[in-house]
Amino acid sequence: MQQDWKHLPLTRRRVLGNAANAAGMAALATLLQQDGLLASDGSAGGRRTDPLAPRASAFAPKARNCIVIYLEGAPSQIDLFDPKPKLRELNGQKLPDSMTKDVRFAFIQKESAVLLGSPRTFSRHGQCGMELSDFLPHLGSCADDICLIRSMHTDAFNHHPGQLTMNCGVPVLGRPSMGAWLNYGLGSEARNLPGYVVLSAGRGTSGGASNWSSGFLPTTYQGVLFRGQGDPVLNLSNPVGLSRSLQRTSLDAIRDLNQERLDRIGDPEIESRIAAYELAFRMQAAAPELMDLSSESPATLEMYGIHRSETGMKASRGGGAGTFASFATNCLLARRLVERGVRFVSMFHASWDHHSELDTELEFCTRMADQPVAALLRDLKQRGLLDETIVLWASEFGRTPLGENRQGSAVNTGRDHHPFAFSLWLAGGGIRGGQVIGKTDEVGWNVVEEPIHVHDLHATLLHLFGFDHTRLTYRFQGRDFRLTDVGGSVVRKLLA
Amino acid sequence: MADGSPGAPASSAERASVLQGAPVLARSQSDYVAADEFHREGAGSPSRFSLHFTLCSRIVLSASASLSQRTRQTGGCDLCRGRVSQVPVESAGEGRVGRVVRVQSGGQVIMWGAVVGAALLGAIPGGAAGRSRVRLAAAQAPPSPSSGADLARATHALLAERCFACHAGSQQKGGLRLDSREGLLRGGDSGPALRSGDSAGSLLVRMVSGKEPGKRMPPTGELLSPRQVALLRAWIDQGAPAPAAGGSGPAGGGGPHWAFQPVHRLPLPVVRTPQWVRNPVDAFVLARLEKERVRPSPEADRPTLLRRLTLDLLGLLPTPEETAAFVADPRPDAYERQVDRLLASPHFGERWGRHWLDLARYGDSDGYEKDSPRPFAYVYRDWVIEALNRDLPFDQFTIEQLAGDLLPNTTVAQKIATGFHRNTLKNREGGVDQEEDRNKIAVDRTSTTGTVWLGLTLGCAECHSHKYDPISQREFYQFFAFFNNTDDVDISLAGEADRAAYQQALKKHQADAARLAEVLQAYERTELPARLADWEAGGAATPGVKPEAINRILATSRAVRTAEQQAMLLGFYQILDPGWKERKKAITDHGRQAPTDPGARAQTLQASAPRETRIHVRGDFLRKGDAVQPGTPAVLPAFPAGSARPTRLDLARWLVDPANPLTPRVTVNRVWQALLGAGLVNTPNDFGTRGELPTHPELLDWLAAAFAGRTASGRPAPAALNWSLKGLIRLVATAATYRQSSRHRPELHERDPKNQWLARQNRFRAEAEVVRDLNLAASGLLHRKIGGASIRPPLPADIAALGYAGSVKWPETQGPERHRRGMYIFYQRTVPYPQLTTFDAPDANTSCTRRERSNTPLQALTLLNDPVFVEAAQALGRRIVLEASGTVTDRVRFAFRSCLNREPTARETVRLQRLHGELMDGFRRDPQAAAKLAGTAPPAGVTMEEQAAWVALGRTLLNLDEFITRE
Repeated sequence: MQQDWKHLPLTRRRVLGNAANAAGMAALATLLQQDGLLASDGSAGGRRTDPLAPRASAFAPKARNCIVIYLEGAPSQIDLFDPKPKLRELNGQKLPDSMTKDVRFAFIQKESAVLLGSPRTFSRHGQCGMELSDFLPHLGSCADDICLIRSMHTDAFNHHPGQLTMNCGVPVLGRPSMGAWLNYGLGSEARNLPGYVVLSAGRGTSGGASNWSSGFLPTTYQGVLFRGQGDPVLNLSNPVGLSRSLQRTSLDAIRDLNQERLDRIGDPEIESRIAAYELAFRMQAAAPELMDLSSESPATLEMYGIHRSETGMKASRGGGAGTFASFATNCLLARRLVERGVRFVSMFHASWDHHSELDTELEFCTRMADQPVAALLRDLKQRGLLDETIVLWASEFGRTPLGENRQGSAVNTGRDHHPFAFSLWLAGGGIRGGQVIGKTDEVGWNVVEEPIHVHDLHATLLHLFGFDHTRLTYRFQGRDFRLTDVGGSVVRKLLA
Repeated sequence: MADGSPGAPASSAERASVLQGAPVLARSQSDYVAADEFHREGAGSPSRFSLHFTLCSRIVLSASASLSQRTRQTGGCDLCRGRVSQVPVESAGEGRVGRVVRVQSGGQVIMWGAVVGAALLGAIPGGAAGRSRVRLAAAQAPPSPSSGADLARATHALLAERCFACHAGSQQKGGLRLDSREGLLRGGDSGPALRSGDSAGSLLVRMVSGKEPGKRMPPTGELLSPRQVALLRAWIDQGAPAPAAGGSGPAGGGGPHWAFQPVHRLPLPVVRTPQWVRNPVDAFVLARLEKERVRPSPEADRPTLLRRLTLDLLGLLPTPEETAAFVADPRPDAYERQVDRLLASPHFGERWGRHWLDLARYGDSDGYEKDSPRPFAYVYRDWVIEALNRDLPFDQFTIEQLAGDLLPNTTVAQKIATGFHRNTLKNREGGVDQEEDRNKIAVDRTSTTGTVWLGLTLGCAECHSHKYDPISQREFYQFFAFFNNTDDVDISLAGEADRAAYQQALKKHQADAARLAEVLQAYERTELPARLADWEAGGAATPGVKPEAINRILATSRAVRTAEQQAMLLGFYQILDPGWKERKKAITDHGRQAPTDPGARAQTLQASAPRETRIHVRGDFLRKGDAVQPGTPAVLPAFPAGSARPTRLDLARWLVDPANPLTPRVTVNRVWQALLGAGLVNTPNDFGTRGELPTHPELLDWLAAAFAGRTASGRPAPAALNWSLKGLIRLVATAATYRQSSRHRPELHERDPKNQWLARQNRFRAEAEVVRDLNLAASGLLHRKIGGASIRPPLPADIAALGYAGSVKWPETQGPERHRRGMYIFYQRTVPYPQLTTFDAPDANTSCTRRERSNTPLQALTLLNDPVFVEAAQALGRRIVLEASGTVTDRVRFAFRSCLNREPTARETVRLQRLHGELMDGFRRDPQAAAKLAGTAPPAGVTMEEQAAWVALGRTLLNLDEFITRE
């Protein structure tokens, strides 16, 4: 293996050399044993120069792909996942000062804040009897595949830092996101598509592209945004007037001239450039094919609710007209992406920050999300993909059991940011479904059983992909960084 | 191994050069050799062979797999965990510099080795020929390539890599710390870690080689490799020596880490081929090459040299005329003249300014959720460009940026310079804890200063004392204290009259605001309670359902309500009250009518009322520890005594004090990186103990001394540059080292895979902004205006919409300014311009000292199809048909020269002619497509198909690897 090492181009040598640990070395070893993009033709000494070539994890993985359904803004766990009858009883009462004394709120005026019970009704679903709110009827039908965590907690209580924590592990900009880490560790199985795809519905998130950043990792590993309008990938289409055949003609010339240069100069980076152009050409065909839903059966489209009506709902934050259709389409695209070997899919929808008018706004959002998300789970399952695909429903934090009483808006019709206890769920890919992990206190303020920090969640996800989270590292600014910063432990109970 | 002989040099030419010289005398020695796995990259010790060998009390010999195979049959070696065997060594010899050992097995000599210092240099299969070869090799060997100092450095690197996470600095698991010699000798709970001179008896060795029953270190993950264990053993057996110059921690024992030592003033090395040396830089580089017996590469041809220089100094292309003039210039200093011409160009400040902006984490917006624009951030950017163009000495450049506001008789320009630290992100999300954000900003300023000037990872000490470098958490907060006593202010750059008018309008606006506020307050005091009473009396006439708490208060009679309840009720009621709402709205409306500031404002800092700085326990600003005063880390030169409470200005002066070895080293290293593609220290942001060692330490110090103008002792430096960046750049760019061809040398791939010896130039892809500039320049579209407000080139609407809740506005720049250089593109932090990101522009969140150079399909799509680049191709196509004469060959040559600044080879010409024919065929079949691609009507005498074909051909050239590469 080491004999091949010298042939690696400097850039990638740095990438993998930086991994300075067993996982990185394993990745390097495997990388070198597998075919890269380039068939080794002898002239270049069998160099492999594709940083996205698939490679093995440190130990046998349970999951190969991951779909994150990211509901930006923080859906109210109290109205969706964590029933609190006692909170309802205590509706309108103050919390004891001892509970809020050292708490910082984003907006709540502590002095006059009172508890706000949920008007939702919860019922049991599946054989496991998971309690879910009446806003999530479709998801309820998948309860036995879902592992619901009611004991999540995080460190950040503002949106952007919170999103960074959930997506990148720490509340600062400039760190790689989960998807970037996994593509760095595992490479990509997709031959004609990027290994990390981002889909967005409605308006933008407060984190923007930092939520799918590659941080200090090479940009090769950052999420590629697939767009709902125009080219699915920016600059995918040839210039107007240049046919695909003339594009091929041009690319042949580019390849030949680059090869001439390579023969003269001997820099393997030129080989990478040649390979990149070939992949770009294949993507030009593969991405539109991916986005073209005409091969999907009417039943499938119906199941995802692509053509549902969204009229009759009033919501100011929902994300604008057409959001129902684009969110449902994204769910279906997520399945299609996974089918084509895309390692990591992040779907964003940003409209869950319900400081006021929560009942209406949340109903809009859940009506939008419930059916297509459940359809995605069912669809993955019926195609045998759920076993190796983790589906994660997540957001940056939860919402307060206290009503929000900011001056100037309708008081106590919404909830503030709550990092101390919130819910999310996972399914598929080595996750033990049909269970609820963790417990919060009677009003949902604090976690009382099985607290799970975001770092623990990340550690578990990496474990499912076959990595020890303390060993998938990258040397930057003198330190070995990792997704879980300095914390995290694998939550065994999550594992099937 | 090509010839199957372990340890033989990589090529026959190399071997010939090694195997010359005096024979080696023999000396008896009984020892035995264990063969280790072989490896290529010696731990800190240069080896002339592609194999690296380490010697311990029992010679540990790195040998090839074939040797291992043979020796494995004869028994097990305790060092190598049974993978290879111990073999008794008989005989050997000792020459001027080393010994020759013989490895015997079963009565047969299976191998010869040459031992020089602590390293076994060569191993050659048995036989008389092998013996003579190896003797000769030993005689020719450089003195002690694996000296005690090298061993010590390598050992330290190994311990840092594998052990320091638990056993260094404040982390002392089992009571053990391995980052000092004392710590090693003292040991931990299980006793001393090492016994000097006795590796077999050292606990450390037993633990890491898995020989302690039931115990192992590191506790998880891979054990140390046999080679690593051998290294440790060798070091211990040599008495755990300290490195001669530099190294720290266990290896150091004595002197501090190399980077913290004063800049050494060094004589130029003597070289055998001085005719190659153009200036002192080359002497150091050549000395190393001669040591490795490698000849430098020939000088690149003139077209390549001019393209390289123009890209490096301006980030632009030379014109074909400039190239032709240079090629034809017979004067002996023709090259130097080009360097001087380019250094005098006003575009120099743009090119090198962008390097500096990477460090300054420059952006045009706040970052975080709101990511509000900073419309005048460019004022600082323009200052940088201007300061570099007039070659403001780097010491003054530093002082003005860190503390321009504190200079006596400070000027507006100096205050603008101090905007350096206003480039920090600012979180304006609703509900942010302002004090937390202020602390975050000060922490960033602290870390950034450490990165940019000291090359230190100070930020590691925010939460705990630095694990690897001698920087305590207390020292971090002492450094932090300099930045904790500042306020952010924006100063107006408008004229006197405008400012006066604005001040007056502002005063009136504020007075009106106060009046309106008083109206509201009066209403709240008097009428509102009365109206509340009316409302209560009117019962539940309000729209909407009242919260439970309000209902409860209402149910309580006014008389018995607490003041708090009453206030809460009032708070609830007021938003329903029309009178209150009306007065509140008046205030809001008035606020929107604030007078607008006339003209630009500059972001800068000013000294604040003194704040007490306390250590943040575990980096949490809410957990206050001890109070600290402003100060600098003890490991660096002392802060000059003087002011009781040193300021940012004192800090800035300290950074550029001749006694400070880091600022000049770190700075010249970055300049080197920009001109050679990689730094002499390849971790430009980490000169600490975890950073890489310099490849040419003497050169680094020579350059640092020359740059700073004088050495620590105050004596003038060899060639005083007095902090002139242009002088430094000129020095490096005129060196023969820089002028070498960048053609890869296959014979060195194995021996010097990273080109650390600099036996050639490096070739690398242009930076993101320059990729754009190259396209615009080659096509003639480039708008060369320098400075001014940032531009917003076309961007698909849905990309801008990725910003939070439509808060990112992207009004497209119209007219020729939309074709300005990449560095002027508005950097919206949450929605960076995609072309920049795709080509690895830094994210402007943290200081970036070295950009990545990725190579991806998205880059291909951008270059092929991004509207800006298509526009460039169209413009280039028009240029080709307009400016070049009619034959296809002439036009091909014109296009080629315009993009690549050289003549095409015959093969390239033929290939492009063929492409032209194919494109013509294609467009003849589809004239409508041709019209679309051509974009505009062709000039007289040119058909639409022809024009389209030249557009497509131009596009091909703009997509070549060579086009976006600095060769």
